[in-house]
Amino acid sequence: MLKHSLTTITLKSMNNVIYYLLPFYFRKFSDNEIIVNEIGDYLIVPAGTSQRIVNKQITKDENVFHDLLSNYFISLTPIPDLIEVYAVRLRTKKAFLDNFTALHIFVLTLRCNQNCVYCQASSLKEDACNTDMKIEDLKSAVELMFKSPSEHITMEFQGGEPTLVPNLIRFAVEYAEEINLIEKRKITYVIELLAICKKYNILISTSLDGHEKLHNLNRGKTDSYDKVIAGITKARQYLGFDKVSALMTTSNDALLFPKEIINAYLENDFHSIFIRSLNPYGLAVDNTDWEKYSSQFVQFYKETLEYIIELNKQGIFFVEEFTTLILRKILTPFPIGFVDLQSPAGIINGVIVYNYDGFVYASDESRMLAEIKDYTFRLGHVNDEYESLFYGKKSQIISKSWSTECIAGCSDCAYHFYCGADPVRNYSTQDDMYGFRPTSMFCKKHKQIIDYIFTLLSERKEEVLPIFKSWINNTCG
Amino acid sequence: MRENLDINSNDNTLFVTGQCNNNCIMCCQPPTKKNDFDFFYEQNLRLIQTAPKDLSVIGISGGEPTLLGERFFDLVAQIRENLPETMIHVLSNGRQFCIESYAVKLKEIGQNKISLGIPLHSDSSLIHDEIAGVKNAFNETILGLYNLAAVGLPIELRIVINQLNYSRLPELSTFIFKNLSFVTSVSFMGMEYIGFAVKNSEQIWIEPIGYVQSLRKAVLDLSSWNIDVSIFNLPLCLLPDDLHSFARKSISDWKNNYADMCETCIKKEECCGLFTTSKRVFTGLKSFTI
Repeated sequence: MLKHSLTTITLKSMNNVIYYLLPFYFRKFSDNEIIVNEIGDYLIVPAGTSQRIVNKQITKDENVFHDLLSNYFISLTPIPDLIEVYAVRLRTKKAFLDNFTALHIFVLTLRCNQNCVYCQASSLKEDACNTDMKIEDLKSAVELMFKSPSEHITMEFQGGEPTLVPNLIRFAVEYAEEINLIEKRKITYVIELLAICKKYNILISTSLDGHEKLHNLNRGKTDSYDKVIAGITKARQYLGFDKVSALMTTSNDALLFPKEIINAYLENDFHSIFIRSLNPYGLAVDNTDWEKYSSQFVQFYKETLEYIIELNKQGIFFVEEFTTLILRKILTPFPIGFVDLQSPAGIINGVIVYNYDGFVYASDESRMLAEIKDYTFRLGHVNDEYESLFYGKKSQIISKSWSTECIAGCSDCAYHFYCGADPVRNYSTQDDMYGFRPTSMFCKKHKQIIDYIFTLLSERKEEVLPIFKSWINNTCG
Repeated sequence: MRENLDINSNDNTLFVTGQCNNNCIMCCQPPTKKNDFDFFYEQNLRLIQTAPKDLSVIGISGGEPTLLGERFFDLVAQIRENLPETMIHVLSNGRQFCIESYAVKLKEIGQNKISLGIPLHSDSSLIHDEIAGVKNAFNETILGLYNLAAVGLPIELRIVINQLNYSRLPELSTFIFKNLSFVTSVSFMGMEYIGFAVKNSEQIWIEPIGYVQSLRKAVLDLSSWNIDVSIFNLPLCLLPDDLHSFARKSISDWKNNYADMCETCIKKEECCGLFTTSKRVFTGLKSFTI
């Protein structure tokens, strides 16, 4: 992972060594090349090195020979002697697959008391009818959840605004606890409702877009900010400071306020943020010029990250979580748990959604498509068998395009190991699950961001690496 | 050869053989070919049986202890039986443990009070093998480390710094974090100028002042990933300030001394000092004053 230096290595037995190629990927990177192997190790080497590697022109008196050898880019035997180690490394990186579906999302109602401009969930007014989940469907969904082999289960309640149906939350949690007396899994609950939260140690996640002006603007209301801050304060007092987290979404208006957003988080005692872009689902689709938004978002990301790095240099610990996920993939041998940046993708493998209408979807975004009458990612009904939902025909079709290793434009990309596949997004933006990378906004955005992270790592290493490591070491990935 | 094990010594090590299947270029105790297994086994058995029961640590060293085969396990079993509370620390090149059953057996016999110190010379198999003097030594040691980790035995990696490996110490740290993050600790060690180090000095000797910058990067990098790092055998006056907290008083008491100038040094008490056995004094020693 260190830049090629001109140091040469003088070994006694200087006769040249024959080497064999292991799979690797390369990409032009300013005046250099970045090369990445099958397990995510990277080297930044002079331009033309990939060609020299392939032409078997690297000699063992060059330092880079030893970099390539110790990082599994080349081998001294056709099959590496340490192929078992290589296998362990790969298994470790893909360990997020070991336990199958861990995140179970329950969409309890579509009703909501807010009106966010970027709403992806097609929420309806507070008094809308027939959008609360039926008790018997909820019961089946909880039972299905326990069919998942995962030891750790996260039960997330969503909407709409799930606090409008406290009876359903109470039922779901109590029924899960009852079954769990026998199952003995470790369950984490995520919702927004204080009384029951305390009893079952539930974490609260709420939207906080930034400063007052922006937060209210995004919601088309004048008092949303005050209310959410009051709510956060109350929840922290009642449940404990670390039980409350906030989530931002970069609306068009947010693009103008990188510093104000971070400052608002700091003022409210949050020490991390996930710079999250708008997603092309639900209400957000019609409100946005995607081409323009995407390039502005990357610029916004860079400015915000720069400001956050500056804060850290001043001694204020503050984490940017998306960067940390990418960094964990680049710098460490460990996997990440985040479902949106995986290969195979997190849908079904990591997350499943039980919708208010009793149908089961591959992901949160999948059920959002259903709101515009597109049922492509509907796997079945909560009353169907577990096997037919999770391993059925629909799942099999989706699985054909859920790995970066298997789809054109990703399988030969140097960054595929740091990125993820997203058939649902491909489908909703490009009309088919397989997608087309040359015009994919998702692809463009990720390449630009990963390029930028590598630029920081190579050009400003001494300055940023200690900060980046503190982010990795202080988050759980 | 010692006559008994001493509760007050910082080094109670059983020397089990002079033979080794590596032939390290800087070995401070060059391997012999003599069949000495029985001689040392009998002697060590007596030492174990007469040792104080509250001895905290006992070492097993050589040569390469695993060359004893079954008798290596017998020795461990004897220690476990006679000194049930004593921690056993085995110095081995780890190659034998590339056979999985060896690692499993050591865990069974040594139970939860046994650890290993295993040298790793480089992240590059070619450089490691050149230093170890045996082809394929790197592969066998790495597989051995994986097998030992799989049965849950604590491992200390030992890196003796020399002219062949010093320039890639930062790369070695990255390699350890990426591939061997299961190790309990990593020790970077100054070379003792004795044995093969003298014979091969032109090829391998390097003064600490020539490698401390490379060492510094390697130590700080591993430490920033929360891996426990130590520096052995290097006096504080040769290390940059930010490495002082990693330095240990590592030199066995029976071969430890200080230079004349150390007498006035205010850091003498915290410093490892020098080897009496080293036939060359480091360049750049100095005395810290108030």
